[in-house]
Amino acid sequence: MFAGTIRMSVPILLPALGDIYTQRSGILNLGVEGVMLMGALAGFLGVAFTDNLFIGMVFSAFIGMISAGVMAFLSVTVKANQVIAGTAITILGAGLSSFLFRAIFGVQKLPPLVREFPVCKIPVLSDIPYIGTIFFEHNLFVYLAYILVPLTWLILERTTFGLNARAVGEHPHAADAKGINVSLTRYLCVLIGGAYAGLGGAFLSIGFMNTFLAQMVGGRGFIAIAVVVFSRWEPFRALAAALLFGVANALQVRLQAMGVPFPPQALQALPYIMTIVVLLSVSRRASFPSAYTIPFSREER
Amino acid sequence: MRKISCMVLVLVLVLVLALSGTAFAAEKLKVVLVLPGKMDDLSWNQSMYEGMKNLEAEFADKADFAYVEEVYDVAAIEPALRDFASEGYDVIFGHGFQFMEPILKVAAEFPNAMFALGTGFKSAQNTCIYDVKLDEGGYLMGVLAAHMTKTNKIGVLGGVDVSEIYRGHEAFKLAAKTVKPDIEIQEYYTGDWRDAAKAKEGALSMYDSGVDIMWHSGDGIGVGAVNAAKEKNKYILGNISDQYVLAPASLVSGTLYNWTSVIRQILNDILNDNFTNRENKSYWLTVPNEGIKLAPYHDFEEIVTPEIKAEVEKTIKALHDGTLKIPHFEK
Repeated sequence: MFAGTIRMSVPILLPALGDIYTQRSGILNLGVEGVMLMGALAGFLGVAFTDNLFIGMVFSAFIGMISAGVMAFLSVTVKANQVIAGTAITILGAGLSSFLFRAIFGVQKLPPLVREFPVCKIPVLSDIPYIGTIFFEHNLFVYLAYILVPLTWLILERTTFGLNARAVGEHPHAADAKGINVSLTRYLCVLIGGAYAGLGGAFLSIGFMNTFLAQMVGGRGFIAIAVVVFSRWEPFRALAAALLFGVANALQVRLQAMGVPFPPQALQALPYIMTIVVLLSVSRRASFPSAYTIPFSREER
Repeated sequence: MRKISCMVLVLVLVLVLALSGTAFAAEKLKVVLVLPGKMDDLSWNQSMYEGMKNLEAEFADKADFAYVEEVYDVAAIEPALRDFASEGYDVIFGHGFQFMEPILKVAAEFPNAMFALGTGFKSAQNTCIYDVKLDEGGYLMGVLAAHMTKTNKIGVLGGVDVSEIYRGHEAFKLAAKTVKPDIEIQEYYTGDWRDAAKAKEGALSMYDSGVDIMWHSGDGIGVGAVNAAKEKNKYILGNISDQYVLAPASLVSGTLYNWTSVIRQILNDILNDNFTNRENKSYWLTVPNEGIKLAPYHDFEEIVTPEIKAEVEKTIKALHDGTLKIPHFEK
């Protein structure tokens, strides 16, 4: 059950971490779901055509960046309404990914499968009783997600780029006066978010299912956005929140399978109910970046 | 002058051809199949798509067929149905339980169009329901699973617990309990039809707790369950389409749907003006009419013992001659 918790939280944690950059810089990218779907497809294509899992991962991050680049263009350059732009990206990603998959592979009698990601046991650590099998018997994606948590924190809190990103999200005019390129910083933050989301999507397609299915992300992109808000834009809290969602999900599977006399619909809603409860308890303390969803323009005050 | 008469002649010819074309086409039934998922999902949608595709040659001069995919959300279904009805489609197949309310609504607005609903329980004069007696298929799988298990723990995994899925699951459990009263059965509904990752996680969790054979009741989530069986090297039973290719070493057998005869029946009833005046609005896919069949054992031909095969055959025979009565499961 607990290894399942980890697996179920990775496709939420990865896009959530990326979205912390995006949101910290003042952009709300509601298109994470669409970006993840494009990443899922890209990862699958990368492996299908090169038979190299690493190329699949890189390609998914790359296509994730391109998809998010559309969002960056719309929200930073065109200064479009971010809610509408993000929704458009979600719809575009869903449609385009299944269209391209059909265009490339046609109507199939059997779904194209790619090779599986090997499970890498980390020596020594995976021998620890109980904890070892839960945390250290996964594939590369899971370890990547582990590493990205402190890395994201480090970049945001301890580097000039991180400081710039936060400044741009809090007070773009002051940042601009200080000589920070607001548009460039926002672009970079959205693109990084896209790369993470693309990897999150690829976890589902090549890291977990070794095939691509239409709509396979199943709303996890939106949960990632919620996770970012209730983690108050902090990577370690995002890890905790993603794990919480994973636990709730694994728990409802177990409860149902054990035959708890409870309607399955109520159990299926459990992860979402837990999400809302936690969101309610922390959101009073949540302080959104001051320039959240506000396009930056030098002329306006 | 000659030039003009020539042009007039051409014009007349074109007009005649065009008019005769439309007049000819108007006599053909325009049939559209609206699928909630992809036509190559190896499951619910694909079986129906292939079932209708098989009839194209047979009905070549009586009907034109069109196919639409991925009309999944109820919010998208209603406008889609209305579109087809107003574009002059005569017969509209809505292939899923979620089409029930939209079909009733649109059917009332277009009394001249005819609608066929894939599973459900409400109908109107110009609609019918085609459904699958998955209780029979589920019963069969329950017998097979209960005989195959070594750990005495079996599982069943489905999408949303409605309609035929619910009936199938209940019959599966009943059959297993009949074979082995002390058997432990785990059941899991993912709550949607296409989140394969969620289904896989559910299946992994059941296998981890000792389940060694499982039946999934199909749709997009089935791929996830089969994938889990492959990863854990445990047994799985499929539904709807033969999913042998997905996991040759794990897929013991399953149930197969063949919609062709049901669709043929519906179309013939419409062509013979025997549709709107029907009393019974339901067309059933059953084991006796061979709409539901047992999938081949493939690599398990040797592993499934002759005794077990005989038990399964006995069940099929009992369904055929009506000696096996499965109670009607109603929510």
